[in-house]
Amino acid sequence: MESTQQLQQKAREVQERLGPQIEGAKRGLSDLNTRIKAFVRERPGVCLFGALALGFVVGRIASRR
Amino acid sequence: MDEQERAGNGAHGNQRPGLGARVEHISSSAQQVWTEARDAVSELKETIDLRRRMEEHPYAMLGAAAAVGYILGGGLLTSMTGRLIRLGLRVAALPLIKDELWNLAGSAVAGFSSRPPSSSSEASSPGTGASTR
Repeated sequence: MESTQQLQQKAREVQERLGPQIEGAKRGLSDLNTRIKAFVRERPGVCLFGALALGFVVGRIASRR
Repeated sequence: MDEQERAGNGAHGNQRPGLGARVEHISSSAQQVWTEARDAVSELKETIDLRRRMEEHPYAMLGAAAAVGYILGGGLLTSMTGRLIRLGLRVAALPLIKDELWNLAGSAVAGFSSRPPSSSSEASSPGTGASTR
């Protein structure tokens, strides 16, 4: 019974310690996602061509192996 | 003038059209082909509508472009393709596995918390009961 309480306490501590970090990481990822989407919408041709070129290079490297 | 044209064009009689008429015919045909090609291209553009698709699904379009580049680069029939497909399948299966694990953990926690405090001593009692017999 005591061990259960200890576990719960530990879990609460971990949650309190990691909660803000996870929230921060989530916010950062969301911001990054918004910026990437805005960039792609502003320059669709460049992004498409870049992705095509990147895929081509990766395919070339993979076929050489 | 007409006779001269006909003679110069190498026409034999009134039935055969002159060079001018043929050129005109060819040019009108070419114009028609050009117009049709332009219409087809604009229709294709409307159908594909890259700009709208890029705005709606930017990551999917980038992935598709990268996949086309990968295939054009000759990477289709390589071992890396198999690895990538396996990785993709795993990533696609991840939400299902996560849901299952979540349900399992939820039921385990519910069972653990609903168990009465004396049940732990009861769980150990069958062993002791067996030993007393």
